[in-house]
Amino acid sequence: MSGKDPIRDPFLELMEAYALGALDGEERAAAEAHLANGCEECARALAEARAVVSELAYLAPEAQPSDILRGRLLATVRAEAAAAKGGNVAVGKTTMPWWMWAAAAAVLIFGIYNGYEARSLSEQIRAMQGEIGEQQRLRQETEQQLALAKREAVILTDPRSIHFPMPAGKSGVPAMQATWHAGLGIVVSGQGVAAPSGNRTLQLWLIPKEGGKPVPSLAVRPDAEGKFDLLVPEPPGTQAVTKALAITEEPEGGSPQPTTTAMWVGELGAK
Amino acid sequence: MLLAVFTPSDSRQVSPDATLVQRLLQKDVNAFETLYDRHSSIVYAVVLRILRQASTAEEVVQDVFLQLWRNAGLYDESRGAFRPWLLTLARNRALDHLRLKAERQRRREEQAEELPSVAMKPDFEGSLDDKRRAERVRALMTQLHPQQKRALELAYFEGLSHSEIASALKEPLGTVKSWIRNGLLRLKQELQGAS
Repeated sequence: MSGKDPIRDPFLELMEAYALGALDGEERAAAEAHLANGCEECARALAEARAVVSELAYLAPEAQPSDILRGRLLATVRAEAAAAKGGNVAVGKTTMPWWMWAAAAAVLIFGIYNGYEARSLSEQIRAMQGEIGEQQRLRQETEQQLALAKREAVILTDPRSIHFPMPAGKSGVPAMQATWHAGLGIVVSGQGVAAPSGNRTLQLWLIPKEGGKPVPSLAVRPDAEGKFDLLVPEPPGTQAVTKALAITEEPEGGSPQPTTTAMWVGELGAK
Repeated sequence: MLLAVFTPSDSRQVSPDATLVQRLLQKDVNAFETLYDRHSSIVYAVVLRILRQASTAEEVVQDVFLQLWRNAGLYDESRGAFRPWLLTLARNRALDHLRLKAERQRRREEQAEELPSVAMKPDFEGSLDDKRRAERVRALMTQLHPQQKRALELAYFEGLSHSEIASALKEPLGTVKSWIRNGLLRLKQELQGAS
């Protein structure tokens, strides 16, 4: 107690309620203004009242904060103390609690695993894309072969095609068979034909009616059994200007002009 | 004298708490640890009683002690003892939190519910002084009229003003004012007599 008669200073009676925070608006504002004016007696009374009010804390049921809170606070405080003193903060002891490091490690491992998984997936995708490309290429080739086979079949069976033999210049060598469709191309077939030596090939030539130079066409090599079917979808000449077809033996890939004597010759329309 | 504990301005002896607070200014972690161990239980109990939620209460307690650590200079020993100052700081923080989060209504609805069992312990683990003071305050409260005790609790733990308490208890405003003032004066006399 101040020892002073409260009647002489009515604000003294308000200090308990002010310390408790129970004063309503006007009374609180008046008490604050009074204290702000520097009333030492009321300031002293307020300090005492605050001490008494704080004793009401013991009415709260007993409770303990968790150890986690203590650890978190001390970790923070140690880190700040180290920073304030300019020292290095020991990792794991001060900057972060263990569980945060564990979480960070888990995220890192997860990231590495994710990266590995992503790389593995990318490789799998690339492999699958390669396989798909290869399949598409094979399919295109098959479709092309099928289209050529169909074209060849039509050439061989269409009544508008002309068929004529291509006998060999040497005896004992089997003749070839030629079929020419004006719109679809030429098919030359052979069986029991000996393959040229090395990588040499058999090349088809169109012999013009007017006696010009032989016109080069495609080349082919018979298989192991001496069989072949040479399809020329777009012949370098027409039936109207061509007198005969001839085949010579040429280097691999063919030649722009014959380098050997024709081994097979067939005149258009010959029987 | 017990009164000297909460009015150290009358005392010439520097309290250990005040010494520890001085060491906080030099960022003494050991001093902080001692202060925390000495006062965290009562601070947490008050904040938990106000907020009624353990996780929120721990957040507020953390804020209070971090403020102490970072702004130890705010405590002025000449204006009172450390613990009342710390408890005032914690209570104000908790009440601010209660108001800001508009949890008052929710807290009233949950009043019938028990506090989290994990946060409750049968006894304070603090000093015997704490225990004796708690017994003394509670003994005094049993001597008060139940409505008077309730008025003090509404003011301290819920931050209600005179008029709000009068409305809550359906009692005249003047009666509530008298209850609160007389209750605090009785508590003061009790503590002075005990010392």
